[in-house]
Amino acid sequence: MNEERDSQMSAMFDGELPGAECELLARRLTRDEALRAQWSRFSMIGAALRAERGVALHDRVAWKVQSAVAQEVTYGDGTVDAAITTTTRTSVAASAGSTGTSSVTRWARFARPVAGASIAAGVAAMSIFWLRVQDDPETILASNPVTESIVLAPESTGTVVAANTPQAAERAPSNGEPERYVTPAPSSSASIAPPARLANYVVAHSEYSGPLSRRMALLGLVATDPDAPPQAEPSPDAAGASDVP
Amino acid sequence: MFLDSSHAVHTRRAHVARIAAFSLLIGAGVAFGAEPKEWLERMNRALTTRNYVGVFTHVHGGRVETLRIIHRVRGRDVSERLQSLDGSGREFIREGNELICYFPDKRTVLVERRAPDGPLLGALPAIDEGDSLVYEIRGGERQRLLGRDTRVVALHPRDQYRYGYRLWIDEKTSMPLKTQLCDQSGEVIEQIVFSTIDLPERIPDSMFKPQMDASNYRWLRAERRVASNTAPALWEAMRLPPGFRMATRSAQAMPGSSEPVAHLVYTDGIASVSVFVEPRKPDSKPTEGPSRVGSSSAFSTVVDGHQITAVGEVPPTTVELIAKQVKASKAAAATEGLGLAPRRK
Repeated sequence: MNEERDSQMSAMFDGELPGAECELLARRLTRDEALRAQWSRFSMIGAALRAERGVALHDRVAWKVQSAVAQEVTYGDGTVDAAITTTTRTSVAASAGSTGTSSVTRWARFARPVAGASIAAGVAAMSIFWLRVQDDPETILASNPVTESIVLAPESTGTVVAANTPQAAERAPSNGEPERYVTPAPSSSASIAPPARLANYVVAHSEYSGPLSRRMALLGLVATDPDAPPQAEPSPDAAGASDVP
Repeated sequence: MFLDSSHAVHTRRAHVARIAAFSLLIGAGVAFGAEPKEWLERMNRALTTRNYVGVFTHVHGGRVETLRIIHRVRGRDVSERLQSLDGSGREFIREGNELICYFPDKRTVLVERRAPDGPLLGALPAIDEGDSLVYEIRGGERQRLLGRDTRVVALHPRDQYRYGYRLWIDEKTSMPLKTQLCDQSGEVIEQIVFSTIDLPERIPDSMFKPQMDASNYRWLRAERRVASNTAPALWEAMRLPPGFRMATRSAQAMPGSSEPVAHLVYTDGIASVSVFVEPRKPDSKPTEGPSRVGSSSAFSTVVDGHQITAVGEVPPTTVELIAKQVKASKAAAATEGLGLAPRRK
């Protein structure tokens, strides 16, 4: 089963998985955390193989893959294929926990052009993309008629853009906020550490950013690993920004 | 003679053909030059006016994380939820004028409130002629990205004071399927790639509920927001990096501050930098130096008894330059006492 899944995922990265299977697998990705983790590992291996500039992957296995591939000569050399196949098998086994001949073959094909391009900087196709059916019962509520809607160029899936028309106010969802909450005392007792203050600044700043940069700013907070070491060497008095809030 | 005449005709025709071809090339060049900008505008419009639910991979600093974004627009109301699916479990939910940040790993919730009369959230950044002085907008060529036709557009910074973007914009929906944040040399700093995306007609309120029970968390929020018309114009950056200009200034309440915090926003049309100025508490340790949150840079310094912090999705040099240029303007002396004037010693 794992082998089949590996094969499917690598085919997905190759762009060789049929659309229907692609969608099925992607649906499972959204539901299955373990599968998602595996997919991330595949992504990392892919990125390592492609040696995308600036995407410095610290994963040791991925690094080994990259190093091994980088040592190879040129695309077309028979020894390259063998080496890549071996390396890939190792990495897939190490990271995904299973190895299948078909997936190894696919990874070898995936890796070859990269070796041929001397690990050229390029676009890392790290995921698949598709538009789900507009009336997917899992995600779409039975909607009221809308007064305005824009239909895009017809996809096979019939994508419709949001109407963006004012709707009757719906009941605001509970966000878990208690009726009483802590308002930090504006006193000298530092109820908020400087890093939390920095988080506060980033959030406030994001409100004035454009759509792209706002997302990037907030991602820095959402995705920050609380246990990660500081990413910059602060001055002795600097705020430890990595530990937010 | 006949031969000469024929030759002349051929020469003339060749000349006309060359001119025509040249004109076509110039025409094509103009079209190609305009097209990437048009794709950027379409993308901005899609990001700000559409409903979408997407799952994407975020790669930054060697970390790979899966997140989900839900974006809903109803009239002027924008709701957004950004959720970490396999990392910190953190969630940011924006509804109306409030942005609520859930930090389950810290058992803390941070509430940021926007001024009701503030600019529409997600207002389209204007890509004007000035931007082409600091960014080179190029690309627009078609590229297949995992089964979809996309247009690749690059916003390349012309100097070291800003980052650039490489965007793979879906032809049919104008959504950016893949986004790379790059430095001036083209190194990728951060990358987002969608794995799924829906464009539903409606998104129910239930999708903006946090996943965790936060009732026992510590909730931090400012008691009130200071009316924007009280914003004093006391602080400003004396010099700015090329292309940056002041976009807005306001005074806002912040958790933990008894006095309003001055918030100045500078932008080059694409990137923006916020400068926060607040009176430093006498017994608090000053914060000075650089720091980072994700791809955002920050730089803190102290000027005239005030803590100055510049934050933005720009290189560290830019926030440092701006923060160090922030000074109290002359009007400060006359209006000292409002809480934002520099403290006299």
